[in-house]
Formats: sequence, C-alpha cells, structure tokens
Amino acid sequence: MFRTSDMVLIAVMVSAAAFTYNTKHRAEDKLAEIRKIEAEIRYEQDSIDLLKADWSLLTQPSRLQKLTDIYEAELKLQPVEASQIGAIEDLPVKPVEIEDFSTQRLGGMADNAKDHTVTGAVLQ
Amino acid sequence: MKALLKKLIRRPAAADQTEIIVEGARKATGGKARNRVVMTMAVFLAIYGAIAGRLVYLGMQEPADSGPPGSRVTASRPDIVDRNGEVLATDIKTASLFAEPRRIVDADEATERLANVLPDLDYEQTYRKLKSGTGFVWLKRQLTPKQQNEIMALGIPGIGFRTENRRFYPGGETAAHIVGLVNVDNQGIAGMEKYIDDQGLADLQASGLADAKELQPVKLSIDLRVQYILRDEIAAAIQRYNAIAAGAVVLSIKTGEVLAMASVPDFDPNNPYNAQDKDRLNRMSAGLYEMGSTFKSFTTGMALDSGKVTLESRFDASRPIRIGRQTINDFHGKGRVLTVPEVFIYSSNIGSAREAETVGIEGHREFLHRLGILERMQTELPEVAKPTEPKVWKQVHSITIAFGHGVSTTPLQTAVGCAALMSGLLIEPTFLPRTADEAMTSAKRVVSDYTVAGMRYLYRLNAEKGSGKRAQVPGYRVGGKTGTAEKVVNGRYSNDKRFNAFVAAFPMDDPQYIVLSIIDEPKPEKPGMGATAGSNAAVIVANIIRRSASMLGVKPDFGHENEPILVSYP
Repeated sequence: MFRTSDMVLIAVMVSAAAFTYNTKHRAEDKLAEIRKIEAEIRYEQDSIDLLKADWSLLTQPSRLQKLTDIYEAELKLQPVEASQIGAIEDLPVKPVEIEDFSTQRLGGMADNAKDHTVTGAVLQ
Repeated sequence: MKALLKKLIRRPAAADQTEIIVEGARKATGGKARNRVVMTMAVFLAIYGAIAGRLVYLGMQEPADSGPPGSRVTASRPDIVDRNGEVLATDIKTASLFAEPRRIVDADEATERLANVLPDLDYEQTYRKLKSGTGFVWLKRQLTPKQQNEIMALGIPGIGFRTENRRFYPGGETAAHIVGLVNVDNQGIAGMEKYIDDQGLADLQASGLADAKELQPVKLSIDLRVQYILRDEIAAAIQRYNAIAAGAVVLSIKTGEVLAMASVPDFDPNNPYNAQDKDRLNRMSAGLYEMGSTFKSFTTGMALDSGKVTLESRFDASRPIRIGRQTINDFHGKGRVLTVPEVFIYSSNIGSAREAETVGIEGHREFLHRLGILERMQTELPEVAKPTEPKVWKQVHSITIAFGHGVSTTPLQTAVGCAALMSGLLIEPTFLPRTADEAMTSAKRVVSDYTVAGMRYLYRLNAEKGSGKRAQVPGYRVGGKTGTAEKVVNGRYSNDKRFNAFVAAFPMDDPQYIVLSIIDEPKPEKPGMGATAGSNAAVIVANIIRRSASMLGVKPDFGHENEPILVSYP
C-alpha cells in the first residue's frame, strides 16, 4: 500500500531527477554552444592573422613599385622631386594690395549709401 | 530458463506464519536460497569475466595503423614589425588536408565533393589515393582557413586536418639578412629571429608559456620603405655594373639605429634553400673587407684630433714613399705639397701616410680602437665578424692602414665610425628602436668638436669638388668619401679587381644619417667609363638618398647649394 507521503516523496524524487536531467542537458547544450563559438573565434583569429599577412603582402613596396611601373603612362605618374617638397612656412606671404582711394571725396566712403544716423548738426 | 526465472523471482510477501518458519528452516539447511546465490554469483562473474576478457583482448591488440604522422610541435613566435608597424615576419596557421582511405565510405562521392571546393585538385590521383585502402594519405598541403571551413562543412567521413604554424615573411628577400630565419620547428636560427630566441623566447617556448596572443610584436628600427629602396638600388647596381656583390646601410647618426641594411646576393626567407651559401652572407656585418680610401676619413680625423695637424697644415706628396720593398704612390698624383683638404679630396695615399706618421704608430692604433673600427661590434645581430689587424704594428702597417689597406673590418662598423666623426660621439649600432636621449646614455665622446667641424667641412668639400661629385643630390646637402680598394688575388693586390665603397652623410649642415655602400668587383657601366668608387658606389648612395630622404624626414633645402663654409671653433 502506498501512503500519501510515499506518493509525495516519489513525486519529489521524480521531479528532482527530471530537473537534474534537464539542467544537465541544458548545460551540455551551452557547453556545445561555447565550443562552437570558441571554434568560430579561433577561425576568425586565424583569418585575421592571414588577412594581415595578406595586407602586408599587398602593400609591399616592391609590389607597389611594380604597379606604379605598369600604370606610369596611363596615370601620368612621376617621381617626386626634392624641389617639390616644402612646408607651409616656406611659402612667401601673400602681398597685401591697397586700393587707391585718394581720387574720391572722403575716400569714396560717404558715396555708398545714405547715412541713417541723424545727429543735431544735420539740418532737418 | 523459465524454471531459472521462477527461482529468481521473489515470492510474494503475503504468506502465513508457518511458511515463514518452514522457509527459515530450509535456509538453515541451505536449500533453494543457496542455489539462487550461486546462480547470481555465476551470472555476475560471467558478465565481469566477459568485460575483463574484452579489455585484455583490446589491450593486446595493436592500434589500427591510421591517422597523420606524429605531430610536430611548432612554437608560436611574436610578429616582427618595422618602426612604422609594417609586418616583416608573422606566424600564419595553415591547415593540411589528409584522408584515411580505410574509413572512406564512398571514394567517388568524396572526390567529387572535394573537387567542388578545391578546383585544382587532381581528380584521378585523389580518387586513386582514396581507393587505395591505406591508413593515411596527404591530399593537399597548406589550405586557407576558408577552404578548410568549406571542406569541414561537406562532412565527409574519413578526412581531417592538421594545422601548423608557419613563419611567413611578406617582404621576401627585402630584409632577409636583418630579419633572419627560423628552422622547421619555428626556432630562430639567424638574424633578429635568433636574437629574439636568445632573449628568452626559447625558454618561454620550452616551458610552454609562449601563447601566441600574449606575445607582443617585436619592433625593429628598420623602415621597410627605406629598406626596400636600398635593396632595390643595390640589386639594380649589381646588374648595372656587373658586380659580384653589393651592399648598403642607412644609419642614424643621432641614435645609432640602423634604418635599412641589405646585402645582395641574398635569399628568400620563405624558401631559404640557398641561405647557407657562402656568397649569400650578410656582407655588411659579417663580411670583412679592406675598406680602402674611406679609411682616409679616419686618418684625417685622427690627425685633426691629435692637435698636431690643422686644416691649414701641409704635407709633401711630391714623391712616392719607399718603405722596405714597397712603394706608396698616388692614384690621382699631383706631385706637389698638399694641404689637408687637398689630401682628402684628391684621396692622396702619400698625404694620408704622412698624416699617420705625424700621429705615430701607437696613436694610430689607439684611435682606430677608440672608434671601435677594430673591435668586435656589439649589436643585436648574431652574424658579426671580428675585424683583423696586424699583431704588431710597424711603420709599414701604419702607412698602409692610413689609406685603408692592411686591416679588414666590416662595412657596418666603418659606417658607425664615420657617424662618430660626424657627431663626435660613438654610439653602438642597434636594430631596435632607440631615441636620441637613450642613445646619449651609452654614447662615448671620442673626438673633439674641432675634428667634427673639420670632418663635416671635408666631406662636403669632397662631394662638391672631389671624388664624390656623383653622390650629390640637389636639396639634400650630401657629403662623403670614396674608397676604391684593390682586391688581394693570390696574395697580391690586383689591378683590375676592385672593392669600392662610398660613405656619405647628409644633410651636411646637421648630419642626421650615414649612408654607406659597397660594391664588389664592379665593371665599367659602359666601355670607356671608369669603375672607381666615384662612378658606382657614389651613384648608389645618391640614388638611395634621392628616393628615401623625404621618408627619413630630411627637408630639402636649396639655400645651401653654395660653397661649403668652414665653421671653426676657438
């Protein structure tokens, strides 16, 4: 004969087993996921290393030299001469141009527009 | 069987008292229950016996002959980068595809699917390999990670990968002698690779602590762009002058850093089958040469530094010097009394010998040792030769050494010595980045300011009026000294085999860099042209400076294209 307490204990045991199984299963799933992601990270890192090596191969001066030799005529490339290198400070100051106002009355300044400011000295 | 089961099945618990007593009596006499125990024991014994037997059987068996050959442990190494962070050497992981034909289910299908990913796979050969039924075959070496991933996605049973670290040098031979080499186990065996191992990496690897991600890249003082230009120029020079070898170095005067250094013929570190050949050694640091007239820089510097000679001193070069059976003559003889600048720009052997005479034998020897010309050079590169000098210096030695014969030293050391004449400070050369302040802590003052000023003036003068005219580069104020040495063939100095060198400093108003070039047995560029240092070694230097000065941070200045000015100190 099963008593109620037996029934309850069995139920608890079964559910505990189920819970444990479920947790373990989920943990295994997560571990598998982590392993997969780790493998992906390793793959990406290896790819980055390889791409870096590829990049330095593509930017080798010897390769760039070959390319410039090939496209020299097409792109009208020429080596930089020493005389073409300079700094901003080396540039002469732009000459200041002063307009000659002396021929106009008051330097021509009063001719431009009517002066809106009215003072007491001006006849109304 | 049924009877056995019946016996094993427990009797129902519901039974009357009497039966229990009866059963107890039976047990006491060892009846049915005994049978059951024996039976149970037998069953368990049989099960464990079977397991034990199987274990022994499996233990005795040889494992199936399959899988790739024993894995090589390839250690990780740090990347080597130049001063701007450009990669000179790096580790790349490569995957190699192998198959275990015994486990291949359908060779036809496997081949077909592999061929989809690897179009250049030899179809027939692969099929035969997979059909062979052997334990292990390589299908393809060194796949890219992309190909590897695609093959993995195919999910073919019986194939696998073996990844290996492989050292890769993107620049190929550009900086081969400096960067060096590794062996198949990824251990440094030459150049800076060996230096890195000697600094403790080897121990780190041995203890298994060298993790690829934690190793910081090793930065060198090399500038890849300048290095390329330099190597390109000397490789072109070998062709142009039909020489057997050439080399050059760009050295920073202020810090002692080597910005670029190359020697051709060299080798491709990615495929170093010929790296050990005798004529492919690093001539700049491991080759010993009689440097010829470039040594007159040291003779003149020594004479000025001794205080017995000034730039206005005069030496009689009108007659050859006879000493023992030897006669010392001038190549461009003027046959008159020469001033110190004239001795230098006409490269007078007689004048230089007289300068050495003024200083004396012991002073001469001491000066060359002071500049480190005759010491074994202390630097990171393992390939360094020890200079040779006469065991006992006699008058004749001092005289010949005055114009660069009788002692052998390395071109790199000569460059370092010239840098000391340009700045007054002797700084050990280095292949690792170093600031001017760090260099100052180990710098030794070797010559006086008067000597420095005088030597700068003489270098500039020689490039404007003397033998170094072809080293001029507009805007960059180059100064330098030529050296044309006759090579020793069968114990005698040969007339037609030469070893030429040119040492230059620029910009001369405040020298930053020494550029030294050497060329071994150059022939005239065109018939009728000369083959002296001024017409080949100087041209190499000029080309290197023209192409690389802007990268070295030297600003062109056309305001100084006039007479050299003699700056004198009281």
